[in-house]
Amino acid sequence: MARRSGSVFTGCGTVFLKELADHLGSGRMRILEWLVLLTGIGAVYTAIQDLKTTTSQDPFLFLRLFTNAHDPLPSFMAVLGFLIPLVAIGLGFDAVNGEFNRRTMSRILAQPVYRDALLMGKFFAGLATLAVALVSLWLLIIGLGLIMLGVPPSGEEVMRGGAFLVVSLAYGGLWLALAMLCSVIFRAPATSALSALGLWLLMSVLWPLLSRFLTEAIFPTTQLTLLTGPSYNQIVFQQMLARLSPNTLFAESLLGILDPSTRALGPVFMTQLEGAVMGNPLPLGQSLLLIWPQVTGLIAGVIVMFVAAYIVFQRQEVRA
Amino acid sequence: MTRTFFRAAWLALALIAFTVPVSPAHAADATPHMKGLWLTTDYPSVTARGGDSTTVKIKLQNYGLAPEKVALSVEGVPAGWKAMILGGGAPVSAAMPATDDNVQLSLRIDTPVGLTSGTQTITLRAKSASASAAIPIDVTIGQALPAKLVLKAKNPSLIGNAKTSFEFQFNVANQSDRDLIVKFAAQAPRGFQTSFMEAYGSQEISSIPIEAGKDKDLKVKVQPPSQIAANSYPVAIQVSAEDATADTSMVMQITGQSQLKITGQDGRLSTAAVAGTASPVALTLSNDGSAPAQDISITASPPTDWKVTFTPDKVAALGPGEKLDVQAQLTPSAKAVAGDYMTTFRASGTGGDSSSADIRVTVSTSTLWGIVGVGIVAIALLIAVGAVARFGRR
Repeated sequence: MARRSGSVFTGCGTVFLKELADHLGSGRMRILEWLVLLTGIGAVYTAIQDLKTTTSQDPFLFLRLFTNAHDPLPSFMAVLGFLIPLVAIGLGFDAVNGEFNRRTMSRILAQPVYRDALLMGKFFAGLATLAVALVSLWLLIIGLGLIMLGVPPSGEEVMRGGAFLVVSLAYGGLWLALAMLCSVIFRAPATSALSALGLWLLMSVLWPLLSRFLTEAIFPTTQLTLLTGPSYNQIVFQQMLARLSPNTLFAESLLGILDPSTRALGPVFMTQLEGAVMGNPLPLGQSLLLIWPQVTGLIAGVIVMFVAAYIVFQRQEVRA
Repeated sequence: MTRTFFRAAWLALALIAFTVPVSPAHAADATPHMKGLWLTTDYPSVTARGGDSTTVKIKLQNYGLAPEKVALSVEGVPAGWKAMILGGGAPVSAAMPATDDNVQLSLRIDTPVGLTSGTQTITLRAKSASASAAIPIDVTIGQALPAKLVLKAKNPSLIGNAKTSFEFQFNVANQSDRDLIVKFAAQAPRGFQTSFMEAYGSQEISSIPIEAGKDKDLKVKVQPPSQIAANSYPVAIQVSAEDATADTSMVMQITGQSQLKITGQDGRLSTAAVAGTASPVALTLSNDGSAPAQDISITASPPTDWKVTFTPDKVAALGPGEKLDVQAQLTPSAKAVAGDYMTTFRASGTGGDSSSADIRVTVSTSTLWGIVGVGIVAIALLIAVGAVARFGRR
């Protein structure tokens, strides 16, 4: 095993540009983007219809575009929480094993491109594709809001919208890194896709239920808890379990950013709320501070997944 | 048969025995001893001022005559005078009283202006086909009683402070022979607000009608200016009607009162604080009253687990018009959730004098955990670098 030499980014740029071009031109990407676009626009359109009938004053009207849910459709925020992983998995599930299957891997690595540069280039290309899709979708929504609501967004709304983009990108990056890890581990793209999608279903659908059952197993229901409700420890434990899922982290982050009156994401004692002026928006800095642990979790998750993919990839035999 | 007849005779006798003594008494009520027409009045001699008109109430009584038309007429009306018979409010010239009944009439006499003395007799005559009656009425021209008002204050001296609304009750009696409209006036020191009301009323009034010989309970409400110095202040009230006046004067003893006021410095009612960290809040304590405030203690009612200390937290005395800067150290609970909170700061002196200010505290949480988050990301990156170092490049 040779010691590393040269820049980390040697060849990374080339891989990045090529992959980006491939992604943006691929039919798979087009289908996924249409899916996101249509559901997103649908959710936002119904939200606008709702907002038009509300007469109460709201300093964060544009943020309501993201959070307002009209009955048959979930809110735009919930749609994204569901669809971003799908797009990310779609972009990453055959990143490495696809090269093997096309027998192009050894050809690429014959070039002066290191494996980490290849992996990083592919990852950043996926992330950039995701970013392009998200930014255009975000701009579309703001534009739609401008046309249909007729009021410009305030500076803080734009800032919060930007923070929303960053958090969404971190969330997408986590699923992208996970999909790439699967693509490194499994040689067959179908297995890779299935395992990534399975994990996604587990985290988004089953994990909230599982965390509840696990909590109930550890803190069994007694006569007392039936009367007084769950104990503080129980709530904290269940929330901790739920936060192992990136979906929970993403949902909580968006709640903190897009609903400025959110003051806390965990259980709050009544004594902590004494004298509090409820419903008052927090300044942006405080909102960011509130969701910072969640965002940290997402970013750290991205890095850990990427490192895992890197380690597995480094240990693989390419010349097969 | 005989027996039955005997019984019936008995019964008839008994009936006669009972009824006979009763019927004469009954007849005495129903039929008077006299018979004919009468004109009567309570006061056949009246006094009037020249130019005034006076009305005499007269009854036309019919005793035991069949109802018939009775023509009415007035005689002896001096030149320049006017007399008119009124029945039911309208001029009439005949009346028709039923048997043993009467008709109410009134004779209105207008006296000419300028007459000062003398007595005239005006006769009212009633004449029907079978009877006639007459009543002479003496009208004396003279001076009527002058209007006279009597004013009595119930409590001529009241004690209170500058915030008290003083209520002086008084009684006005109309001791003249006619109804008067009584007007009120009050003289109070400059800046005092006075208003007259009925004793149990709330509507402000400026005059009130009082019937002849009656009296009314009234009150005058006096509101001193809030910045008035402690002293005795007189209030004079005067009631007047036509040419009569009456006055009385009352005294308000105003004792000084302190009036504390606490507020943020320069009127600021908001501040910012970091959870778990003491931050200063500048307050101003002032006494806007007219007497020194004693034993002032400054307290706060913050949310649970918050700490507030004051320098000074006790003030022995603060003179009227004086100001004092108070520095508060506000420490939100370390577990406080970010956001806005209301905290009440209160200054209270002796005698229930207190003031409070609600100050909005914007609590922000420490950025320490944000730095910890950055640290965690840095550790994750270090792991990445470590992995690269461990596995090298291929």
